[in-house]
Amino acid sequence: MSALESRIDELLAVPPYALAPQNREPAFLALLKDELDYACSRNSRYQNYVRHWPIEVRAALKVADLPYLPVSLLKAEPAFALAEPREIKKTLTSSFTTGQMPSRIALDSATARRMSKAVAAITQDFLGAHRRPYLVVDVPGSVAKGPEMGARGAAIQGLMPFASEVTYCMRPDDAGALMLELDKLLAFAKAHRDSPVLVYGFTYILWEHFVKPLISNSVSLGMANIHILHSGGWKLLQDEAVDKKSFNRGLAQVFGCSADRVIDFYGMVENVGVIYPDCAEGNKHVPAFGDVIVRDPLTLEPVEAGKQGMIQVCSVLPTSFPGHLLLTEDLAEIVSSDGCRCGRRGTCFHFAGRVPKSELRGCGNISRSREPAYPR
Amino acid sequence: MNDLIRNVDTPEDISAAAAELRQVGAITPNATLDVFEAWADALGTPEMAAIPGITFLRLWLRRNTLEPIITRELGQGALDDKWMEDGRARLKAYPVGVVGHWPAGNIEIQPLLSMTCALLGGNRCLVRIPKGLRDQTRQLIEKLVQSDSDHLVTSRIRLLVFDHERLDLHRAMAQSVDGAMIWGGEEAVTEVRALPFPHWARLAVFGPRISVAAIDAPSWNRPAARDVFCRRIARDVWQFDQQACSSPQVLFLETSKGHPAGEFVQALKVAFEAENRVHPRETIQASLTSAICQARASWLLEDVANSATFPTGPEWTILLGQGSEIPQPTGGRTLTVLEVTYLLEAVAKLNGNVQTLGLAMVNPESAATVAAVAAFRGVDRIVPLGRMHVFTPPWDGVDLIRIMVRMVRHVRWSSEPSEGANDGEW
Repeated sequence: MSALESRIDELLAVPPYALAPQNREPAFLALLKDELDYACSRNSRYQNYVRHWPIEVRAALKVADLPYLPVSLLKAEPAFALAEPREIKKTLTSSFTTGQMPSRIALDSATARRMSKAVAAITQDFLGAHRRPYLVVDVPGSVAKGPEMGARGAAIQGLMPFASEVTYCMRPDDAGALMLELDKLLAFAKAHRDSPVLVYGFTYILWEHFVKPLISNSVSLGMANIHILHSGGWKLLQDEAVDKKSFNRGLAQVFGCSADRVIDFYGMVENVGVIYPDCAEGNKHVPAFGDVIVRDPLTLEPVEAGKQGMIQVCSVLPTSFPGHLLLTEDLAEIVSSDGCRCGRRGTCFHFAGRVPKSELRGCGNISRSREPAYPR
Repeated sequence: MNDLIRNVDTPEDISAAAAELRQVGAITPNATLDVFEAWADALGTPEMAAIPGITFLRLWLRRNTLEPIITRELGQGALDDKWMEDGRARLKAYPVGVVGHWPAGNIEIQPLLSMTCALLGGNRCLVRIPKGLRDQTRQLIEKLVQSDSDHLVTSRIRLLVFDHERLDLHRAMAQSVDGAMIWGGEEAVTEVRALPFPHWARLAVFGPRISVAAIDAPSWNRPAARDVFCRRIARDVWQFDQQACSSPQVLFLETSKGHPAGEFVQALKVAFEAENRVHPRETIQASLTSAICQARASWLLEDVANSATFPTGPEWTILLGQGSEIPQPTGGRTLTVLEVTYLLEAVAKLNGNVQTLGLAMVNPESAATVAAVAAFRGVDRIVPLGRMHVFTPPWDGVDLIRIMVRMVRHVRWSSEPSEGANDGEW
């Protein structure tokens, strides 16, 4: 295990977007194979899955040949872990709605450490290394101190290494709804008007509880030297017909900065330590310690650049849960396998939304497809 | 043509269509059958071959298929619109009137199969065409128009296209009919059944069910027979992409001494590969691909004793395990093979969720015993493997033509009532 950990750390030490794909792939593939062997040795059920994969792991010629797990299989209680319960230091949970089960991601110390290091490496590549005042558009309780942490908390926590001080500008009202603390926000803006500032918020919270009320009150914070990171998906904003352009414009208006200071990043708690911020070209990049494969739903083969498919995320970081190769329920389009004009090496892609819920199926559909009411 | 398939946007459009239908006069089953026979011929062109289920539709429309069904369900003489003697009385089938059809959204031929059942009872039909089936239905109905130059049948139908979320239009359609044939998943049939139909309307609901295949040991432990049965299972699984209620989702495999179940799975794999070469999928929803991947993974993660065989793509999946508990269907060419010690014991645990039992049993007496147990447990169809999708009534235990007719009883006077006779002494 320690040899495996050393190899993961070696890859983690490389600048995340510096390697040419052809230089990275052989070591990345070999490392993933060894991690799969390790995972199988830790969990007999996972071993049963890998054993039945149509391509034998050791015979795999590329990462796309290796056995991937549908991400929904991590929605389990207790968490689907490779580590012993006593080794688990923290459990991350994905966001979920009532009636759904969240993903539970078991982190041991080593995986948690790599997660922090990886997020820091990616963020540093986009923002620089120095610490700066950190404004969190959320409530302080989002970063729980207990053994479980939600997706919002994990994202907020992941940016802490860049914070010289942290300010939360929301509080819950008596009913638990989010309330903007305007006085606190204005004081923060006044104190840090000319300095570099980092802001993070969930996409929907930023729009609904920050941009909308501030625009309606004609508030502009005058903070030009700012970076605003946000994540969490566009579904709710699409329902309100808010696109990325108007979202960025709204944030820029409120903060008094240019719209290119707004950085959307794609990520999920199951893909611990890997986030995919938009570069200046509007593309999302794959770091050296991870990969993204976009698969054609008809064949499950990787698609060519320019075509859409289902996202598979790959990562060498986790050793406490089987999150190395995960087929998500999201769609993306590969932009190129290398050569983005922003200068970052490796694969870049565009996020294209969630896999649409299945349409009504036939009368052989006993207990699935709860979505539509009338036949479509 | 445009008059037959209408995009409707207001409740008035629907009530107007129903009113037009009510002006149309009676027709005999024989006359309807003549048109259907011509329609079956017209559907035999190469461009129709790509529509899933077209072979069944053509077979269904044949006079040879339908005549015996009409006679059995409606009685001798029904073909020629004659009364049937019944003691002092006589009986004759009359239509319920205008029948509304709510087919499921993904069985291409279902709107028309449903419609033909009601037409054979002399009814007129309002058929809601699900958006995804509009193009195929148009192709099929164009052939009917060509085959019915006198408009005997086409005058009796209106095909309506409207968004599934238009509750006002669903309500208007329900209020315009005297009967309804409702097909689909649980939520769909529940919602449609709750629409404001007239109190006299007769509803036939064909809700969600699954189907099961079963093979006893002697039927698969000889390689030649085993391979034949595997081809038949593959055919049953492929039809309608396993999304019809008559599609097998599970296969009970009776343990055969000296023949491990893996041997059978290998033969089944060969049959699935062959079927996939002949009938490959041309499209798939990403959500179904996702469900197939989940089914594979959850099966293998659930129990280390479970095994599975599948290619790298989502084309087909065979899951192998033990026991008689039926897992949740995936509906994407994913067959769960469950090894059981005694077939009869597994069949005895079925319930009314199972519509069809596809059976391969060498011994006819044993097969009859299994069929009787299955029927008692709630299964409505017990058929040989390879014939699970053959559409023939009764379906879901219901006579498909009779359900939408009224059997009118005419009791004749035996003699003129005489003066002073008591009531009841005629």
